Amino acid sequence: MSKVFLGIDVGSVSTNVIALDHNYELLFNYYARTSGQPIESIKTGLEKFHSQYPDLIVAGVGTTGSGRQLAGVMVGADVVKNEITAHAVATTHFHPEVRTIFEIGGQDSKIILLKDGIVVDFAMNTVCAAGTGSFLDHQAERMKIPIEKFGEMALKSKNEVRIAGRCTVFAESDMIAKQQYGFTKEDIINGLCQALVRNYINNVGRGKKLEPPFAFQGGVAANVGIRAAFEKEIKHKVIIPKYFGVMGAIGAAILAREKIEKSQEKTTFRGFGALQTEFVPKSFTCNGCSNSCEVIRVTAGGKTIAVWGDRCGTWKEKMKQSLSEAI
Amino acid sequence: MKIGIPRALLYFYYGPFWESFFKRLGLNVVISDSTNKAIINRGIKVAVPEICVPIKILAGHYLTLAQQNVDYIFVPRMVSIRKRQFFCPKFMGLPDMVKHSLNFKEKILTCDVVSDNSNISNYRNYLPLAEKLGKTKKDIKIAAQEAEKDWLQFRKFTQLGYPAPKAYELMVKGLNPVKINPKPGQIRIGLLGYVYNMYDPYISLGIFDILQENNVHVTTFDMFSENELRNVTGNMSKVLFWTFSNYLLEAGLHLFNSDQVDGIIHLTAFGCGPDSFLGKLFELESEKKGIPFMTVRVDEHTGENHLVTRVEAFTDMLKRSKAV
Repeated sequence: MSKVFLGIDVGSVSTNVIALDHNYELLFNYYARTSGQPIESIKTGLEKFHSQYPDLIVAGVGTTGSGRQLAGVMVGADVVKNEITAHAVATTHFHPEVRTIFEIGGQDSKIILLKDGIVVDFAMNTVCAAGTGSFLDHQAERMKIPIEKFGEMALKSKNEVRIAGRCTVFAESDMIAKQQYGFTKEDIINGLCQALVRNYINNVGRGKKLEPPFAFQGGVAANVGIRAAFEKEIKHKVIIPKYFGVMGAIGAAILAREKIEKSQEKTTFRGFGALQTEFVPKSFTCNGCSNSCEVIRVTAGGKTIAVWGDRCGTWKEKMKQSLSEAI
Repeated sequence: MKIGIPRALLYFYYGPFWESFFKRLGLNVVISDSTNKAIINRGIKVAVPEICVPIKILAGHYLTLAQQNVDYIFVPRMVSIRKRQFFCPKFMGLPDMVKHSLNFKEKILTCDVVSDNSNISNYRNYLPLAEKLGKTKKDIKIAAQEAEKDWLQFRKFTQLGYPAPKAYELMVKGLNPVKINPKPGQIRIGLLGYVYNMYDPYISLGIFDILQENNVHVTTFDMFSENELRNVTGNMSKVLFWTFSNYLLEAGLHLFNSDQVDGIIHLTAFGCGPDSFLGKLFELESEKKGIPFMTVRVDEHTGENHLVTRVEAFTDMLKRSKAV
């Protein structure tokens, strides 16, 4: 029976569950919209994997993404890692020479700068999602073009059209104006791709020295129009990693494998049976002091198994005590 | 008589001196609580929006102290602690700023602090306080001399590698700690930042704890003596104007050039003018020396996740590159 390592990336928009075999090949890949229900998406992903490969042994699990803590507690992850490290690890595994990673997901985008395999700097978009996948989704829908065709159409453009990319509201009115002028859909879509990339490089990458080789990953990397716009904007070839859409989850799996192999310990994975337990995250405002921390408490089968968000650690301490008393 | 001292700004460097000084004058000393949400919200309300977060927080501490029935709030005018170098203008104008924007004029206790080195215990600095406090010149002199001993002890402990709040605690308890050296396998990081950013857990979002959780040995500028750092200005034709910026610059150049650290983090508050120079100088030095460098920018809106993610990613990568 062969062993696999699982990686789970719980982002704001999507949840990925992947399995890597011993050759670091992607064996299984599950993608779902998180839709505010990370627990359900993780469950479904893992159950799908288990029904497809009931004989494979899970030797380790890693979680990443903004929901990594919750996911980690739920599955009993060996490694819970930030998405920067996860993405960087996955990319340097497949393309060790890369110095700049462009990552654009559904609602966030980041630039990771590497030097000798070390993350030396990174930036993430903050509140504005102007340069991300959900904006493209919205425009594709408005123009009645399937999102999968979006990129190809952009490549057929014959004329330069400049679309304002700073803000989606302006971009949209600009696109409508250009349509009324009589520009083709292809030209407008191409203009939009370029605007998105320009906005991303100027905002997320502001003040950063972007050095080649470049890698472009995240869900939006599927869009050939955006790829082309990147190469045009930075005047350099861009590498698209083979599994560009699930690099975060792959990174988490690689990190879990490293940890298990180094420590020679058994995985802390709770197993597929444990998925039947009911996990409930609840938040409350602690009034213990004037910090008024928003504390998250996760219970499994009625028992508190994780707490975070308290600056002072009171609630974490309480949980530890009650857990040790229970034992 | 009750004197209020804000647990903010240079408290993390001169607090041990000031607290001891007032106590030895036989006065009650009230130190404001560690920065919390209520304090910062009070500060944000009164401070101009463009000013840096440590000053906003300071304003919050002053307002908090004003509600604590203190007779005076200590607002020194920090002028210079090195020849031809000065404090950031916000420090020099602090008593005026507090007087005019916080509206508790009669409660302000102030004096100019001038020295030719970081030891500010010369009693002459504090003579203007004598009348208000009802003390004689001699009282002031004796208290300053005694407080100096405490401060020197505190500085000795920071130079043994203890973060300032820990060193303060050790000094108060009268303990005799040993030097902290990096443990085998530990990642060594130089953390360059002003005391009020590094040691205020609200601003730094507990960066020391985060680094500790990641098994990191931390070196900060105040873990060096003034003499160790003097004249470490590398290829600069002249130094900066601002004393504490120079301390950071010197500590940074020293760390980049002495094989003491695996990486350097610059902790800076959004909108800090002097730090815009420092950051660039560190960046250039980092490229030259091949030592990884990262800037962590904080302000009142910073989420903890953001910082944890960055610091974790940075230490992870240092560990990973060291393991190769």
